Amino acid sequence: MTPWPYLDVHQSRTHEPTPYEYKLAATLEEVFTKEGHELADVIRGLNARQVHAPNGTPWTEDTFRAEMHRLGA
Amino acid sequence: MTLTHPTTGHTATADHIYATGLRNQWHPVVPSHFVAPGGMRKVTALGEDWLLFRRGDSTLHMLADRCPHRGARLSLGKHLGDRVACWYHGVEVEGDGTVSSVPGLPGCNLEGKKLVTSLPVREIGGAILAYFGDEQHPEPCELTLPEPLTDPGTEAILCYAEWNVPWRFGMENLLDPMHGQFLHHESHTMFDGDTTAKFRIRETDRGYFFEKTDQRGVNFDWVELCRTGVDWVDLSIPYPPSAGPGGPFGIVGMICPVDAHRSGVFFWRYRNVEGWQRDTWRFLYRTLIEKRHWEVLEQDRVMLEAMPHDADQAENLYQHDLGVVRLRRLYRAAAEQQAAALASPEPAAATAPAGV
Ligand code: FES
Ligand SMILES: [Fe+2]
Repeated sequence: MTPWPYLDVHQSRTHEPTPYEYKLAATLEEVFTKEGHELADVIRGLNARQVHAPNGTPWTEDTFRAEMHRLGA
Repeated sequence: MTLTHPTTGHTATADHIYATGLRNQWHPVVPSHFVAPGGMRKVTALGEDWLLFRRGDSTLHMLADRCPHRGARLSLGKHLGDRVACWYHGVEVEGDGTVSSVPGLPGCNLEGKKLVTSLPVREIGGAILAYFGDEQHPEPCELTLPEPLTDPGTEAILCYAEWNVPWRFGMENLLDPMHGQFLHHESHTMFDGDTTAKFRIRETDRGYFFEKTDQRGVNFDWVELCRTGVDWVDLSIPYPPSAGPGGPFGIVGMICPVDAHRSGVFFWRYRNVEGWQRDTWRFLYRTLIEKRHWEVLEQDRVMLEAMPHDADQAENLYQHDLGVVRLRRLYRAAAEQQAAALASPEPAAATAPAGV
C-alpha cells in the first residue's frame, strides 16, 4: 500500500546540512539583512565575520559563486 | 437515463463531480519522483484508483488500477518494462491500456483490445499532471502551463503534501488571502500589514484576481485563479531582507482531488532569480527557509483538517469571502454542467470531440 499522508518537511535537500553549511547559511542571512544584497556586500560581509570557504581562505566573488553553485544547484 | 463510469460504476452526478473534482481538465497527481524509472505506484485521484508506471527510459503511463480480466489490482502486479502483468492470472496490459497477452489462453479474444482506461500524462516542475476526461471528452483539452514553471528566469521549487481535506476547502483557502494576516501572523513572512482590508474581484481572460484595494506587496495581498486546462493559483508573498536578492517569492498552487475527503497539495515556491542569486536562494531554502515555509503550511493543514465536513453549510460570510463565493459558484456550476451533459442523450457541449 502507498503510505498516506506524505508529510515531509525537507523535500529539496540532498543531505542533512553539515555544521559548515548551517553556519554559512545563518551568516548569509545576517549579511543580507545588515550589509545588502549586492555580491560585493556579501563577500565583504562574510569575510568581515571570518566565515570563510572550507579551505580557510577569504571569499572572492569567484569562489563564492562556485560554492553557491555546488550547494544550491 | 443515468450514465455510469465505464470501469467503476460510479454515477456521475453533479454532487459526485463536485466532491471528487471536475472532469475534462488536467489535474496534478503526485510528484514525479514518486515513480522511479522501472517503478510503479498506486495512486488515488478524483475518487478512483490508478496505477502509475514508468519505463526504464522514463516514459510514464497511467492506467486504471483494475485488471480487465476479473478486476484485480494491476498495482499488485509485475512491471515488465513496457507493460504490466496482473498477479492474479498473468494478463499483460500495455501503457495505452491494450491487453498484449493472456498467458493462460494464448489467442484469447481479449488480446489486442484496449480494455483499460489510460490517461494522458505530462510532467512539469517535478510533478505529474494527468488529463481526466469523461466518456464524452476522452481527448485531452489544451493545457497552458503556469509561466513561473516555464520561464527561464524564474526558479521554482516544489513542495508537496497530503492533507485530509476536501479539495474544495483547499482551493477556498487559497482564494482567501486575508487568513494570512491572522493564521500566519506568527510566521517569517506574513507578520506585516493591516488587519483590515477591502477586496475586489478583477476578471481576467483565464480566471480572476481577488485582491486588496488598499495594500500590495506587504502580506498575502492578492491571488489570481487561473484556469488554463489545469486549475492553479498564483500569489506573491514578500521575503524579509535575510532571504537576499530577488524580491518576493511567489507560489503556484495546485490541488489534486484525491477523493471526497483527501487532497494532494502542490506548492511551487518561485522567485525571479538567476546565476549566483538563484544558487544562493536555493542553498538558503534547503538549509533554513524550507522548514519555515513548512511550518506555515502546517498551520493551514491543522486549520483545514479540523473544519467540520459541513462547514460550508452554515456560514455567515462577509466582504472578504467574495473570492470564495465566486470560486464555489464557478465549480458548482461546472459540476452541474458536466453531470447534465453526461445525462443527456446527445452530447450537449458543442466542443465535444467528434465520434462520441
Ligand atoms: S484478474 Fe487480472 S489476470 Fe485475472
Ligand atoms: Fe495559508
